[in-house]
Amino acid sequence: MFLISARRLAAHSASLLLNTQRRLSSGLKGDDRSVESVLQLLVCPLSKTPLRYNKETNELINEELGIAYPIIDGIPNMIPQDAKLIKKAEGIEEPTQS
Amino acid sequence: MAASFRALSRKVVRQVRRNVTFGFRNRVRTAGFNPELSACRFCSGGAAGKSTHFGFETVSEGEKAERVYKVFESVAQKYDVMNDAMSLGIHRLWKDALLHVMNPQPGLRLLDVAGGTGDISFRFLEYSRSVRDRQLRHRARANQTPSWQQISSSYSSEEAEPVDSWAVVCDINKEMLKVGRERAEKAGITKGLSWVVGDAEELPFDDDTFDVYSIAFGIRNVTHIEQALQEALRVLKPGGRFLCLEFSKVSNPVLSRLYDAYSFQMIPVLGEVIAGDWKSYQYLVESIRKFPDQETFKDMIEDAGFFRVHYTNLTGGVVAIHSGFKL
Repeated sequence: MFLISARRLAAHSASLLLNTQRRLSSGLKGDDRSVESVLQLLVCPLSKTPLRYNKETNELINEELGIAYPIIDGIPNMIPQDAKLIKKAEGIEEPTQS
Repeated sequence: MAASFRALSRKVVRQVRRNVTFGFRNRVRTAGFNPELSACRFCSGGAAGKSTHFGFETVSEGEKAERVYKVFESVAQKYDVMNDAMSLGIHRLWKDALLHVMNPQPGLRLLDVAGGTGDISFRFLEYSRSVRDRQLRHRARANQTPSWQQISSSYSSEEAEPVDSWAVVCDINKEMLKVGRERAEKAGITKGLSWVVGDAEELPFDDDTFDVYSIAFGIRNVTHIEQALQEALRVLKPGGRFLCLEFSKVSNPVLSRLYDAYSFQMIPVLGEVIAGDWKSYQYLVESIRKFPDQETFKDMIEDAGFFRVHYTNLTGGVVAIHSGFKL
């Protein structure tokens, strides 16, 4: 049984290597595209309404509720507790700790 | 007609629930602004009092989420190594089995919840790609008199395929996703893979978005499993499939005793030796014991609204794959 799993592991790593070569040769697609494309799928986890992408601050903003979800290192953080409240009236933005 | 009524009733329930969640502001933590309110969920203070299990310990629900987060934050770097060590590499076979049950055809959209380091998503993309390659080869072979031009064009077709498979990895823990993304970059997988930090109980996706929802070795760490199941139902397209790979109950008494001995004697020790973290792996084996058994979990999935719910035991019940459909 261990021989089988060992063989399977070897085959797995071999196929992964083949795929690596194939993908590298086909040209690395930038992962900016995968970030941009996932942004279209995302909605606010609380109200399930669409979000506005703010390129300067790199945030996803829910206008209705006045909160902004940060995009850290290309990965959007959609946890409500990590979102920032945007108080446009007083011009104060309170950063939160996660 | 029955289908549209079901969809309508689902939408009504969702609207009611959405109106209730407008008490969200409590949950958005602001520095120094009423920490007690922010500690509990939107429902008025009741959740802070509710207790749940964290392994064999009893903790408050808020505490459980935080402690689970800390466990995975500390194990993230050594997660894959530990998986191999603890399961003697068998976790790869379990994940391969999940993909075989899933049998994804090219062009599907997968939501890999608690996907962490991306094992399922990588396999999903690889599987879809090999199915597509097989289809293309079959098409080429099916041509009665293929000219060399036809054959060479079918092999070198790098233009945008009709619909690409897309795997979105969603995890509550940033560290696990970072490790996953590094692995993807090393393996050269960038196309068709997206990373999102999100909560399984409150997914940041619209209704009817995904063809397949999978959660591998993650649902036992969720504080409110029923809520995660309802969210799964919500984000799936009608006809979409729910798949869960999770540790379960071993029915055979002899195997069960061996498994318990291995779990409680070996695994925390391995955790200490390899990852320098006894407690996290103690939590791991305890959380497995606290998770409901195959039949109970199957009932929970059916209660959430899935149809044709089935489960398959792997390795004598150490692990089970539960599957259901949104119809």
